[in-house]
Amino acid sequence: MSTTAAQMLVGASTDFLRHFSPFDRMEPAALAYLAQHAVLGFHPRGSEILTPEMGPARHFYIIQRGKVQARQTGATAVTEYASLTMSAGECFPIGAISAQRPSTNAYVAVEDSFCFQITGDEFLHLMQISPVFHLFCTQYIASLLNQSRQQLQTTFAQRAAEQQTMTTPLGQLVKREPVCVTPETRTRSALEKMNELRIGCMVVADAGQRPVGILTQSDLLPRVVLAGFDLERPIGEVMTANPHQLPATASAYDAALEMATHGVRHLLVVDGNGCLKGVISERDLFSLQRISLRQIRAGIENAADVDALQHASRDIRQLALNLIAQGVGAEQLTQFISALNDALTRRIIELALDRHDLVGIDFGWFAFGSEGRHEQTLSTDQDNGIIWRCPEPEDAEAVRKRLIAFAREVNQNLAACGFPLCKGNIMASNPDLCLTLDEWKERFGDWIREPDPQALLNASIFFDFRVLYGNERLGDQLRTWLNKLSRTSTNFLRMMAANALQVPPPLGRIRDFVLEDDGTIDLKKCGARLFVDAARIIALRTGVDSSSTVQRLRQASGKMGVSSEEVSAIIDGFHFIQLLRLRSQHLETEHDADGDNRIDPDSLNELDRRILKEAFRQARKLQLRLKLDYQL
Amino acid sequence: MNWISRFIGGRGESEALDRGVAETLAHWQSLVDADLSRAHFETRYAVLNTEATGLDLDRDRLLAVGAIAIEGGLISPAGSYYSTLEPSPSLALCGLLEFVRKDPVVVFNAAFNLGMLEPVLDQRLGIALDAQTIDLYFLLPALFPERHGNPVRLGDWMESFGIGTFQRHHALGDGWAVAQLFLAAQARALAQGAASPRALQDLERAYRQYRRKA
Repeated sequence: MSTTAAQMLVGASTDFLRHFSPFDRMEPAALAYLAQHAVLGFHPRGSEILTPEMGPARHFYIIQRGKVQARQTGATAVTEYASLTMSAGECFPIGAISAQRPSTNAYVAVEDSFCFQITGDEFLHLMQISPVFHLFCTQYIASLLNQSRQQLQTTFAQRAAEQQTMTTPLGQLVKREPVCVTPETRTRSALEKMNELRIGCMVVADAGQRPVGILTQSDLLPRVVLAGFDLERPIGEVMTANPHQLPATASAYDAALEMATHGVRHLLVVDGNGCLKGVISERDLFSLQRISLRQIRAGIENAADVDALQHASRDIRQLALNLIAQGVGAEQLTQFISALNDALTRRIIELALDRHDLVGIDFGWFAFGSEGRHEQTLSTDQDNGIIWRCPEPEDAEAVRKRLIAFAREVNQNLAACGFPLCKGNIMASNPDLCLTLDEWKERFGDWIREPDPQALLNASIFFDFRVLYGNERLGDQLRTWLNKLSRTSTNFLRMMAANALQVPPPLGRIRDFVLEDDGTIDLKKCGARLFVDAARIIALRTGVDSSSTVQRLRQASGKMGVSSEEVSAIIDGFHFIQLLRLRSQHLETEHDADGDNRIDPDSLNELDRRILKEAFRQARKLQLRLKLDYQL
Repeated sequence: MNWISRFIGGRGESEALDRGVAETLAHWQSLVDADLSRAHFETRYAVLNTEATGLDLDRDRLLAVGAIAIEGGLISPAGSYYSTLEPSPSLALCGLLEFVRKDPVVVFNAAFNLGMLEPVLDQRLGIALDAQTIDLYFLLPALFPERHGNPVRLGDWMESFGIGTFQRHHALGDGWAVAQLFLAAQARALAQGAASPRALQDLERAYRQYRRKA
């Protein structure tokens, strides 16, 4: 019957759509509507599917197979790079069909491609009946990010589960089915069973599964072997009677206390009826090492020496891992890492101050670069400096010497705590970076007035400063002065912009991504930095004081008349790249390798690849903005 | 008693069914053959596929028929037909004829599919399909020699285009794959200037002749 035929084909389309977002989450009725109305067409390689010249978009397309390239068109001089390639499951044109206007992109099949299509009216109806689809269309990137986070949570669920707390009920910690024998069992067969199952102890229980005794491996030598115990005799004669037991509802902490109090290595876990549920060993509890934010902070603040701080530094990484596992986003995560690293650095400074007499010297410890922006990831080397003011009667050079000696110790201790020394020597112990307020002004002034390549590079590092310890007023004064000067230095900003545009987002015209020779993308150099550099320039131009990329973008957008949706999309893109960096870093440090910023896009799942593409597109948008602003 | 009842009467199907079948057949026979010189986008093609107990035309039985319409270069789930021969072969075949109309028929391997279908049509309905067919078995290697220069099986073409289906060796399942292949064939043919069903037939004929000589 013909209805059956249609149902079969609708079923086939539905199965296909279910593989992709947002259709996999779409309400059943809406998905059915889509599958019923979606018709399949073919677009040979090289053919135009949709162009602006075709007038208002009349169809919404979902790629079934093949590749479609979207190219930005129009009068701007930057269109040659503005293209992206889409593959199965991706849809277009969302904006044009929603607004019933011509598409701004030209969509061209770059491979033989099959696409499902629905009409504009069907698209609008789908938006109405499906909140999921509506959300997808209106918050394209935001919704994708959210899903990615959920996927991430699933990925890490296993590890998160292993990171249980000392409050976990024992019932949850019991790993294997309880094994027990009756007191009448021959000792030989009980031992054979222990050996066969590779268990460290044998529980002896009565017919009702209530434990009456235990025999552990450590009992064997004194009681069985040396005592010449006859293995044919029942185990009841050699076991320890009345074994320690706890209810399944007791916590791991209770168990640890019980073991510590009685000096036993095994505890029996019983249910409400006193029946055996399993055995908890000392080792089971040992793996429940638990670190909390508060404990780490307390550990840092109470640390008496660098050794203790090294410990805390490892804990920070461990906690970051746990937070990633819980699906905490990049913004909170980087802030949190920054906050703990700040605390760690402050403690190192305090410890050094005990040994260096700097009384009377007004100084501030500068954090530059990512630390200055509160955007530290797990593998960041040191970027720091000192700003100071010389007490009236003293000799400036003598003071500088003392500061540098102090800074050298801080730098060394930071290195010992997992912040590698800066290869470019951007460290407070470098005399060039241990400057008075006036010297810093002079330094910045030179860069701004004569922006040669080195000056521009310096500016990109040193403009992101904040005072991490000491007199913050010194930093504020420098900032105020600097902002005033740079805002009026159009040439300098223009050159900064040109510099920032030197690295384009690694988006390919044919392939999805442009890869380095080793098949990876550098998420710092070709990802995060694109946002960071652009945001810095925009902030300087609009006079935003913040040193954080996100804050700079948010605050500047208001002044520049950029819509909040637009800036949110850009920020989401930045956060996603930061999150990928954190993920790859911690995954690598798990294997004791140095964390780095390289990622092989093929190792990402389909969704993350798409979001990454979108994130790069946002970077491109930001760059385009700079291009237009400075006519580059 | 009209001429049709000689064939379908007395085979255990009800009078009402007979009448319905008769009406459908009469209507089908009154249809005019589609104009093969019209452009693809003005033509409705009917992709037709069969499912039998095996591949032996003499011994195997037709089990089911499936068909998918292609209009304006698009496949719509609504434009499809599937029926098993049982319980009512005449009804199944009648529905197929009603769906196919007198439009150009696209098949993959006409010798088998039509060889399976036509005797049953004759036997059950006393009808000769006499369709204007396009056989992808020959047309595909003619259009895509870079993929397969010689006629190959459906599975090979599906693999070459990365086409999948919900159920292989099912009249509609394979039909869906054939329909997708036809979309690709149509597009390639158009790029070569073959813009009508007749032009497709000409391409197919030329390819057969070329093969015979070669």
